[in-house]
Amino acid sequence: MWSLYGWLFNFIFLIAVISIIGYELMCLTDLEFDYINPYDSARRINMVVLPEYITQAVLCLSFLLTGHWVLCLISVPYLYFNLTLYLQRKHLVDVTEIYNQLSREKSQRLFKLGYLVILLVLSLFWLLWTIAGEEFD
Amino acid sequence: MGTENPGRPSFPATPFAAAPPTMTPFSNSGSVVGSEASNLRPMRPTVPPNTSPPMTAGPAGSGESPAFRPAPPTRYNDPSLPTPPSSYGPPAAGTFNRFPTPPFGSMPPGPPARAPVVGQPPFQPPPSQVSPPLSFRPQGQIPGVPMGSPPPGVNTPQIDSSFPASRPNFQPSFPPTVSGYPAAGASSQLPLPGYVKQSNAPFQAPQGPPVQSPFQAPPVGYAPSAPTPSPQFLSQQGGLAQAPPVASPYGLHSRDQIQHSSTMPPMGAMQGLIEDFSSLSIGSVPGSIDPGVDSKSLPRPLEGDVEPNSLPEGYSLNCNPRYLRLTTNAIPNSQSLVSRWHLPLGAVVCPLAQAPQGEEVSVLNFVSSGIIRCRRCRTYVNPFVTFTDSGRKWRCNICALLNDVPGDYFAHLDATGRRVDLDQRPELTKGSVEFVAPTEYMVRPPMPPLYFFLIDVSISAVRSGMIEVVAKTIKSCLDDLPGFPRTQIGFITYDSTVHFYNMKSSLTQPQMMVVSDLDDIFIPLPDDLLVNLSESRTVVEAFLDSLPTMFQDNLNMESAFGPALKAAFMVMSQLGGKLLIFQNTMPSLGVGRLKLRGDDPRAYGTDKEYSLRVPEDPFYKQMAADFTKYQIGVNVYAFSDKYSDLASIGTLAKYTGGQLYYYPSFQAANHSEKLSHELTRDLTRETAWEAVMRIRCGKGIRFTSYHGNFMLRSTDLVALPAVDCDKAYAMQLSLEETLLTNQTVYFQVALLYTASCGERRIRVHTAAAPVVSDLGEMYRQADTGAIVSMLSRLAIEKTMSSKLEDVRSNVHLRIVKALREYRNLYAVQHRLGGRLIYPESLKFLPLYGLALCKSTPLRGGYSDVPLDERCAAGFTMMALPVKKLLKLLYPSLVQLDDYLLKPSASADEFRKVMKRLPLTADSLDSRGLYVYDDGLQIVLWFGRMLSPDIAMNLLGPDAAAELSRVTLMERETEMSRRLMGLLKKLRESDPSYHQLCHLVRQGEQPREGFMVLTKLVEDQTGGTNGYVDWLIQLHRQVQQNA
Repeated sequence: MWSLYGWLFNFIFLIAVISIIGYELMCLTDLEFDYINPYDSARRINMVVLPEYITQAVLCLSFLLTGHWVLCLISVPYLYFNLTLYLQRKHLVDVTEIYNQLSREKSQRLFKLGYLVILLVLSLFWLLWTIAGEEFD
Repeated sequence: MGTENPGRPSFPATPFAAAPPTMTPFSNSGSVVGSEASNLRPMRPTVPPNTSPPMTAGPAGSGESPAFRPAPPTRYNDPSLPTPPSSYGPPAAGTFNRFPTPPFGSMPPGPPARAPVVGQPPFQPPPSQVSPPLSFRPQGQIPGVPMGSPPPGVNTPQIDSSFPASRPNFQPSFPPTVSGYPAAGASSQLPLPGYVKQSNAPFQAPQGPPVQSPFQAPPVGYAPSAPTPSPQFLSQQGGLAQAPPVASPYGLHSRDQIQHSSTMPPMGAMQGLIEDFSSLSIGSVPGSIDPGVDSKSLPRPLEGDVEPNSLPEGYSLNCNPRYLRLTTNAIPNSQSLVSRWHLPLGAVVCPLAQAPQGEEVSVLNFVSSGIIRCRRCRTYVNPFVTFTDSGRKWRCNICALLNDVPGDYFAHLDATGRRVDLDQRPELTKGSVEFVAPTEYMVRPPMPPLYFFLIDVSISAVRSGMIEVVAKTIKSCLDDLPGFPRTQIGFITYDSTVHFYNMKSSLTQPQMMVVSDLDDIFIPLPDDLLVNLSESRTVVEAFLDSLPTMFQDNLNMESAFGPALKAAFMVMSQLGGKLLIFQNTMPSLGVGRLKLRGDDPRAYGTDKEYSLRVPEDPFYKQMAADFTKYQIGVNVYAFSDKYSDLASIGTLAKYTGGQLYYYPSFQAANHSEKLSHELTRDLTRETAWEAVMRIRCGKGIRFTSYHGNFMLRSTDLVALPAVDCDKAYAMQLSLEETLLTNQTVYFQVALLYTASCGERRIRVHTAAAPVVSDLGEMYRQADTGAIVSMLSRLAIEKTMSSKLEDVRSNVHLRIVKALREYRNLYAVQHRLGGRLIYPESLKFLPLYGLALCKSTPLRGGYSDVPLDERCAAGFTMMALPVKKLLKLLYPSLVQLDDYLLKPSASADEFRKVMKRLPLTADSLDSRGLYVYDDGLQIVLWFGRMLSPDIAMNLLGPDAAAELSRVTLMERETEMSRRLMGLLKKLRESDPSYHQLCHLVRQGEQPREGFMVLTKLVEDQTGGTNGYVDWLIQLHRQVQQNA
């Protein structure tokens, strides 16, 4: 039963990270199509960058604590990537160069999104497996 | 060395216009014989039918001159041909009439024979003499008389035999040949005129007209055969020959060309070929001492920048190139073509470029009808729109939408479809116009011109005397500030605290308020920090008078630059305007303080190197973004004698469309003139306020990246808070569709701005360029100036993310790729194996590329240029218009002593006499006096053996002193007056900067070293390539995988 709660907990964080990434992507797309100006776009993105990193770190930790080693291992490279960006102080979007960085920032976030979706599918699968296992017990 | 073919003025544009049909086949022809033949078919019409047989039978071995060979390669099977040399044996038909081989008069000169082997008999004698490779040398060196009898055609066949071996210049296996060969090539050049005279004349007489006739067509380019070499032509031959055919009329490579010219009478085709490309034969073996290149005849932009004027007919309505220059005036029609054009594709725009008197952009006011724009793409009405439906509709030239003509703008069309009122409509006849914008183009009332000064008053600023100069200059400019009587002005000074000045007009003396809470800066007074100049004039003057004395005893060494910047932002954000920062001490207090991260020598050459050139603290970028948002343009004047991290501070200017002026180790005694001139210009030049610029272009293409000092407000909107005539912006194009179907694309630059008078205006420049499907045409229409400007911007941007060395090799690589692509178009076809070929339009590109690699932002490593200077030069070059950039890259060097000694020479006369010299130490004669002018500074170089008379006249008693301590001033001698007049003229010709004059005596190290010698870009200095080496290196790489 506890594992089920653990899963729910993980899911909340996973969904949170995905939605933050989605939000950032939305800001970038809006910028590309000229719906918002670079100042607003950069401000909105920069506002959620750190929450994204923290949520992801928590997710990673919670995978670890709930004993899902494989999922934790899968999300560690992501954590490492975020950490290096942060340490190089490149995690924030630069409003002055945002148009030159647009494609890179976008593809980076799209990649993250894909990564998270895979993680989501995997954990869903695992969850169902757990539930099924428990019912059989 | 052979030859090369600079564009000589006499033939330039005609060929294209004259013979377009013949051109195309060349340019898109591949290099393979077989395919060629088919490609060329279309050309046939221009070739008289009777010529084709000889061509097919040409003596050539397979693969040569495919372009001219209408016959399919199968013809080679002709028994007489398989081995060209062998074919000499049979002195087959006497068919040589077509060859310029008059001596063999015995041959029936008549038209009849096109034997398979053209010109065989005449060659028989020579082969015996000349065929071994070594014998080329004598041949080349004693060209005149001995060679008289074997006319140029002679070379061909023999070479044929020996050619494969001797051609590869870089093959070490033929050292003797190779080393001798270049020499031969070179020497053949000069003797040629003589040769022509001697040989041709005699032959012509006996031979009679029949012989000559075939050559009458080609003579243009073809020296040896030209029966009537014009004097002008000869002279060209001497130094710089024309086109490939001419290029090596005589050299080893010449065979095919000669053959072409002899067998290809059609004039158009011939000329077309001539104009097709230029070439330079570089023969050298690695390790040989003599590079084999005559450095005197290499192409040099001694005329300065030449704007492209070879635009085809029909583009005369384009705006002047000083406003908009495309890197190539032929837009590729497909992605694949773009990928084969290895140079940047785009435009360099200088929207407010200074127009000479009489050519100013006319200002139009559409009060009644409103500004006519396309409904869909918002293009402004321009000369390229077409009116239809008897004048009721107009078709947008950019998106092809049919728009209604407003009633007030309606005019009938005449029989040819032109509006009857065309001559009263400048917007329909001129490429550049300015519209007065109505209120819908304003988001707020037009702002007044606003100047805000942020002045460092710390001890080093006081000591350097900067404050005094600045105060004096500002005061002297108060009358000339644009926008009277609306102009606003304000001041903040800072050291470890921030000082505000209340300049309320009712006061007599300004009130100073000091804020020392740097963490939470606030404005002590809601208004009156920024005042109307005309109302508070006396207070402002009183302030400026007292400013130098106010702080003269200031011992404060700190600088609260960041907080002061924030304060200035708060004061200005209501209105926007121009912020001038005078910065002397490294920011050390409060937000935005910078570390002495220093000019760390260890960082150079590592992957971390670039981080020294990017701003350290995001504070400055953020501030710059905020400044732009509130329409504030920032100009930074930096004076520090120590490292002050201009990489960070300069971003303020970069992202606000401003400029960075750097005066390293400023001392009022030396630099005050420069500072006050440049500050005056900054304050008084016509400025466009709160501007935005957009460039529109036709369907299928899009501007994707923008390069320069500005910030993008949306994907294609350049925000320019304060812009003036000294700023240019570059943008790169990309194709959105795989294939462009339209014939022409149009570009329209629109700059919406507030003029100083308070009027909102839109300046519109429109230009058209043809779409081509042919790479050769793209290269032909290339504009070196724009390309170099673009390349340098890209390179400087790249220094922000990679090592200098990588950036330089990147520039090099781009040039190599472009030349290689171009070579692939022509080389095989024309058998130009050992030659460097390049389009006429790009003849200066290699040199500018070299100069770019040696320019201040890219040069050397740690020790070559101080980091601050490097960054400052980078910011400057990102903003310079094309002409000034080219002058900075390849400065002018002129010898003065002759002019000064000549009596009664006036300065105007000097313009004519003024001859720019190649930038190499060889140009400097130790008996001369030279002036070096790169647009930013002037250096007078005194030769060691300069006559003491001149030195005395110019310098007076200081002549013997060390020149670093001598300042040039006008003396009581005629010569001195004339020199000063001349310098004045030089400065007037380029007023955007003040060129300080430095004096250097030959041998006075290290001053001479860094002022002159390292700037001679053609010389080999400190591990960099000289021009000749650079070309050889380019050539070698072009040949690899070619």
